[in-house]
Amino acid sequence: MRPGRIALRQNFLSHYGRQLGTLSGLVALSLVLWALSPHFLTVSNLLNIAEQATIISIVAVGMTFVIITGGIDLSVGSVLAFSGVVMASALQRGVPLPLALASGLGVGLACGAVNGLLITVGRLPPFIATLGMMSVARGTALMFTEGRPISGFSENFRWFATGEVLRVPASVVIMICVYAVAHFVLRRTKLGRYTYAIGGNEEAALLSGVGVRAYKTLVYGIAGLLSGLAAILLTARLNSAQPIAGMMYELDAIAATVIGGTSLLGGEGTVAGTLVGALIMAVLRNGLNLLGVSSFIQQIVIGSVIIVAVLIDMALKRRGK
Amino acid sequence: MKKGLMLTLLLALSVTFMSCQRGGGGAGGTASNGAPRIAFVMKTANNPFFIEMQKGAEAEAKKLGVELVVQAAEREVDVEKQMQIVENLIQTRVAALCVTPSGSREIVPAVNKANAAGIPVVIVDTRVDAKALADAKGRVATFIGSDNYEGGKLAGEFIAKSLNGKGKVAILEGIPGHETGDSRIRGFREALKASPGIEIVASQTANWERDQGFNVFQNILQSHPEVQAVFACSDLMALGALEAIAAAKKTGQIMVVGFDASDEARAAVTKGTMGATVAQSPAQMGALAVENAYHLIKGEPIKEEIVVPIKLITKENAGSSNPGK
Amino acid sequence: MLNIITNYNSILAHIPDTMHTNIFLGREPTRAPGVIDQRAIFRAAARALEDLGLSLDPRTPVKALRVAEQQMVEVAKALSLDARVLIMDEPTAALTEHEIRELFATIRRLKGKGVSVVYISHRMEELFEIGDRVTVLRDGRTVGTYDVRATDKSELIRLMVNRELTDLFPKEHAARGAEALRVEHLSTEGGLKDVSFSLHRGEILGVAGLLGAGRTELARAIFGLDKLTAGAIYVGGEARRIGSPRAAIDAGLGFLTEDRKGQGLVLPLSVRENLCLSSVDKFTKWGVVDSAREREAANRYVKELRIRTPSLDQKVVYLSGGNQQKVVLSKWLCSEAEVFIFDEPTRGVDVGAKAEIYQLMNRLTASGVAIIMISSEMLEVLGMSDRVLVMRAGRIAGEFSAAAATQENILQCALGE
Repeated sequence: MRPGRIALRQNFLSHYGRQLGTLSGLVALSLVLWALSPHFLTVSNLLNIAEQATIISIVAVGMTFVIITGGIDLSVGSVLAFSGVVMASALQRGVPLPLALASGLGVGLACGAVNGLLITVGRLPPFIATLGMMSVARGTALMFTEGRPISGFSENFRWFATGEVLRVPASVVIMICVYAVAHFVLRRTKLGRYTYAIGGNEEAALLSGVGVRAYKTLVYGIAGLLSGLAAILLTARLNSAQPIAGMMYELDAIAATVIGGTSLLGGEGTVAGTLVGALIMAVLRNGLNLLGVSSFIQQIVIGSVIIVAVLIDMALKRRGK
Repeated sequence: MKKGLMLTLLLALSVTFMSCQRGGGGAGGTASNGAPRIAFVMKTANNPFFIEMQKGAEAEAKKLGVELVVQAAEREVDVEKQMQIVENLIQTRVAALCVTPSGSREIVPAVNKANAAGIPVVIVDTRVDAKALADAKGRVATFIGSDNYEGGKLAGEFIAKSLNGKGKVAILEGIPGHETGDSRIRGFREALKASPGIEIVASQTANWERDQGFNVFQNILQSHPEVQAVFACSDLMALGALEAIAAAKKTGQIMVVGFDASDEARAAVTKGTMGATVAQSPAQMGALAVENAYHLIKGEPIKEEIVVPIKLITKENAGSSNPGK
Repeated sequence: MLNIITNYNSILAHIPDTMHTNIFLGREPTRAPGVIDQRAIFRAAARALEDLGLSLDPRTPVKALRVAEQQMVEVAKALSLDARVLIMDEPTAALTEHEIRELFATIRRLKGKGVSVVYISHRMEELFEIGDRVTVLRDGRTVGTYDVRATDKSELIRLMVNRELTDLFPKEHAARGAEALRVEHLSTEGGLKDVSFSLHRGEILGVAGLLGAGRTELARAIFGLDKLTAGAIYVGGEARRIGSPRAAIDAGLGFLTEDRKGQGLVLPLSVRENLCLSSVDKFTKWGVVDSAREREAANRYVKELRIRTPSLDQKVVYLSGGNQQKVVLSKWLCSEAEVFIFDEPTRGVDVGAKAEIYQLMNRLTASGVAIIMISSEMLEVLGMSDRVLVMRAGRIAGEFSAAAATQENILQCALGE
């Protein structure tokens, strides 16, 4: 083989080998479920799974960006709830739909940006800054609504949950768009390049003229913005915005990201992997429901799959070297 | 190597699924043996109240010879997970669906989906918000539950009588926006209106949880040490409050009234550390839910609302058996 | 017992612990199970340090020690284990001349006590000073073992590279051009005090000094990493406010840091991504990177500098030290730097790659680039500089022309004698 071709192959494997590992895990899981339940492999169930995966998977995109920079964002679930109730109350007060949506997204972006500033300007560890935001955003959401859910929205707004584009649920289409854009941003743009560089070696990035503070803040802002987008979809789906929505979503999002091969140390990871990770979790939950497995055993299975997936991923990574 | 790992994963998963598969399998609304399949989605599987309900439902299913699939979200308040479970069970085309909604309004989209799939819905324990349901043009076959308002009233009357119409009381609320908790509080406040000498000094949520019941009541005791009685919207919160009272070395000085009449609460009432608890009959609810679902499958008419009797358990009758059993 | 001492930033340095707990880390004497006998540790640690002739309080946090002292702590640790064989891997890489003297004295004392030492080093002169026998390895194979008295430096180098390096420092003097950089009265909180000098195109300005003399601080100040408390920087005769590395890069500066892996490269990224990191803007339109143009540029530098890599997409972590250094160098070439600051450019680089880096410096100066070269290797400073600045305690202690500079007068100036 010509050396060029060997290089190309190496390149392909090093870029996609790990996702292929996770993807084959997803396929294997699906095969098992297909064998066990006649209801699993139907068009309606697959769309059902995709729809159920949308919210966590969109939150997980933001998480992937943050984790690639070597950080973590524990506030995504609370920010989701906060954006949701602000948008919902705007809708109920008769604010035009685009403005209401913008208010929800704006709240998400603002919370994320505050996280970013606390981390970059305030020099707080991301874990602490976002832990604080997790509580502040949750509390503000509860205070804002006096603890009560806000529900009942127009059909126009509910389109996000009930609408279809070419027979595919609108929320799934939105999710696909988010992933396409995120993939492009990470692979092809300056922002993406800098995101990896900051996570790979923050000091080297700084010394190479990367505006580390600005870009890190931007990345946390993106995570907040995507929580806001997820809030729109969740609120439409439940026809209700709850101040207690999104609890533990941060952990699901982290799990999806890590299963997808993103290193918690930063500098590495892809959104394609994260999508597969989010789908693995959704397929697993769906399959366990279809099979009527008790909720206690479900938790054991899900936890075990997370551990096994990451173990396999690490083994593949070691072999990759 | 890679293949070996994949194979191991596959094997491990298969084993897990096989061993978990009890009660699963079968196509359509009927199980492999031809019996109709009923799904029962509860708020949670780790609250004594719902454990009782599950037992009642399972006993009834066995009696009727139907197959019952019971599922619950990991956390009681997780409306989105509950919705996912309902969606997934709709995929298995169960013949009927019984649900205890995690959210009175948030359950409506799930009801819509069941309607669209032609699966009849039996609502248990927590009412669906009537307006939200009407707005969404959703249909539920029946509601089976206790009269929570009446239960709250019973608790209020009991406290008013015990305090001789005079004193300070506190309330531990459930999660705001929950129809059950809200009704109980409305009933409780209504009963106290008859005794103007009684003042409600604090009313705070402990989110249905025992540890929060402990903390919240401990805090209330700090700010209102003179509190003489507390009404908790569930036994779990009441038991938490009881611990807080014990920690403050005030056992016996503050009257605690709970709701649900769980075994532990009954024992506390017998012992005298707790004043009373309102007995719902979760087991009876579960049984009635399955029974009525069965009627629906057979195409038989059922009532639009079925009220399960409620009564106050005090020291006098705490020993008697649960009416639902 | 065998014990290994390495140069690279001993693990200990990262543990915010005191010396005495460090020396006994993992095998603490206990009074009861699980209860550490602090006093016994303290006494034993004090004894171990004393044996080495170190007058240090065992309670000092390891982090607060100089690198040389940290190494001594590791030696103390080894001795307290009754090690019979010590392996020292590049122990002097981060040490000053004076500290090296101390280390060698310690090694001789250990030798006297019957401890055997395997001493791994790139520095030839050290081998001849401290070694009894020398083993040459090349490509993972033993080339041979020789008595140090029976061989010499050029023979060893020939064995190592398998080709005669006629001249280790192929210095070519380039034409001295216009002023490239001038700093006036620079002071920083980091300890720089009133530093002024100028640098011309085509010139290599060596900066010598002991560890902690403020050489790296000087580089950081010029590159916008440390805030100036006083002074001004002129690039190409123009006053520039340099408040960040970005501003420094835009002004035409490039900084090859001493810690290549820690500060120079983003290890998980590819050769191409590293190479273009400081000049992404050049290839970016509307925020999107034109990867075709980027590849083209990267390819040019890989060819020009003969970076040995299977592809542009190889992660730099898998490259050898010399090739990594070339990637960092290319990064600055790519961002069109005209003033380069090299901080310890050949540290951790093998002899062959070293020569290549010197050649590159020659080519840079020939093309009109100005270079500040900070180095602890005296021979390198003497061999490559057009002028030598000597720093001491944050100030410029002296300046020598290439002709006037000798090892002796530089060292004297650095020590302040």
